[in-house]
Amino acid sequence: MAGFDQLGARAIAAGVAAGDFSASEVARAALDAIEAREPKIQAFLQVSAGLALKAAAATDARRAAGEELGLLAGVPVAFKDNMHLLGTRTTCASLMLEHYESPFTATCVRRMLDAGATPMGKTNMDEFAFGSSTESSAFHRTYNPWDITCVPGGSSGGSAAAVAAGEVTLALGSDTGGSIRQPASFCGVVGMKPTYGVVSRYGVVAFGSSLDQVGPFGRSVADVALAMDALVAAGRDPFDSTSQEVPAGFLAHLEASVEGMRVGIMPDLMGHEALTPEVRAALDDARVALGDQGVEVVEVDLPHMASSIAAYYAIGPSEAFSNLARFDGVRFGYQQPGCTTLAEQTALSRAYGFGAEAKRRQMLGAYLLAAGVYDKYYYPAQQVRTLITSDYRRAFARCDAIMLPAAPTTAWCFGEVSDPMQMYASDLFTISCNIAGNGGVCVPVGLGADTGMPIGVQLQGPAFQDHKLLRMARALERGLEESGRIKPGSVAPAFAGKGGELA
Amino acid sequence: MGLTRKEVRGIAEYARIALTEAELDEMTTYLNEAIELLQPIREYNLTGVAPTFHPIGDLSNVMAADELDANDRALELGVALGNAASTQGRAFRVPSILGDGGGDR
Repeated sequence: MAGFDQLGARAIAAGVAAGDFSASEVARAALDAIEAREPKIQAFLQVSAGLALKAAAATDARRAAGEELGLLAGVPVAFKDNMHLLGTRTTCASLMLEHYESPFTATCVRRMLDAGATPMGKTNMDEFAFGSSTESSAFHRTYNPWDITCVPGGSSGGSAAAVAAGEVTLALGSDTGGSIRQPASFCGVVGMKPTYGVVSRYGVVAFGSSLDQVGPFGRSVADVALAMDALVAAGRDPFDSTSQEVPAGFLAHLEASVEGMRVGIMPDLMGHEALTPEVRAALDDARVALGDQGVEVVEVDLPHMASSIAAYYAIGPSEAFSNLARFDGVRFGYQQPGCTTLAEQTALSRAYGFGAEAKRRQMLGAYLLAAGVYDKYYYPAQQVRTLITSDYRRAFARCDAIMLPAAPTTAWCFGEVSDPMQMYASDLFTISCNIAGNGGVCVPVGLGADTGMPIGVQLQGPAFQDHKLLRMARALERGLEESGRIKPGSVAPAFAGKGGELA
Repeated sequence: MGLTRKEVRGIAEYARIALTEAELDEMTTYLNEAIELLQPIREYNLTGVAPTFHPIGDLSNVMAADELDANDRALELGVALGNAASTQGRAFRVPSILGDGGGDR
């Protein structure tokens, strides 16, 4: 039989339900693939073999008892290490939380498990999700499965790499300024940031509370749609007051026609100087592919988008500073021994526990929220947020989705982008979506002619119209598949079939 | 007029992050660059523009009833204390917050 990495989530769940293979066999195949591929990828901070085999055995027992199986029965899933899962550590890739054991399970994780998914472990990330390359992890790098001299993107780099390398079928990430969509682009997988409020944040370590949103990675739009169905099926989460009631049915409507739907493009942005020629070519390909599917292209404008970096780096660090104030070394986290006062213990614990970028963001936030400074940056940034949100409202009156790059370039090499300001600038095309709160999805468009590395194109939709957004994403994927540009479901070639045979 | 090293030291104290002398230098450079990055938001005329603090507008704080939480979300004592570095009995253990030596402010 084929390797488990040749199967999508739907095929695995259907195969388990039909008895073609058991959930335990799939779990063992995934563990085998992880063992074979992990030395070169290092996507995981912790592999939860015991939990995986136990969950898979429970799925098999349910089938044996004639019970109905969930949407994700036996599907191997990985979770970004800022999501609590009982029985694993939740480190946020930080020395601060190196030994922190999850005291409970996050709602997003719970829902994947309730749908029958098999938890394979926790994935690497930029420390506390501050970064775009996963290089700020306190523990180790993660390598891009398409070229191991390159970064996987970030901050959810481990989740993207684990899916791209075929170590798992699905993974969850979190996206505060592009942390799902950018690594999806770099690793050649589909990654979705749903509208803020669609997925519960309960049990996810907070970075920017008005910006953070959890979403899935998969190797096809259909797999991402299936994961979305699992995430929203149980309705709003009473444990997260921002969680909203969202109907399931992402997969059910995926193949519906997009004939007559409209995609907006911004001509100025398509020619943006930061874009490499191959990223521009990918956007052209995507436009043609959508046109082939019957989507009409219209021109739109988001005039305040240029200021979204400034607004984001005022709002994000301020929220991060507030959220990370809880790490005082008392109730959890690293504690500096031998201190005589609480103030000294707090300052030294935080100095040891946080890495350079985590310190920078908190220092910036501390400054921005200070009396006298608040009115200069934080408050006007929230006013600019109103302008950006209005831009989107006007644009979406004319189209069903807006097409943008996910990142200005393909994955860069380790150490190539070391200046924080340069790193921040690379978020230009993703962050306005977090500021306004609407949904965005990154779809692979193929490999760049110059670098040979994956390029993703981003589609953004109106708030709470994520079903329609995914339908458009599927149309893009279908169009590119029909023209031979991509093969959905593919694993990075150097790792496909390495271990993971379904016995 | 950028932030001085002395001002950055004050921010670090407020943020409760002990920085080395070398880190203070780097942080001063960083903060001044970051503030430069934020300048575009000061270039708009924002008179009369209401702020958007949150993408979901009509939220208000949610307060729990002031009673013992006995549902399955309540952590067992051992779990609640399990991640702390210093505990004593049923409590988290902390250094002195009062008296000589500066304490907590």
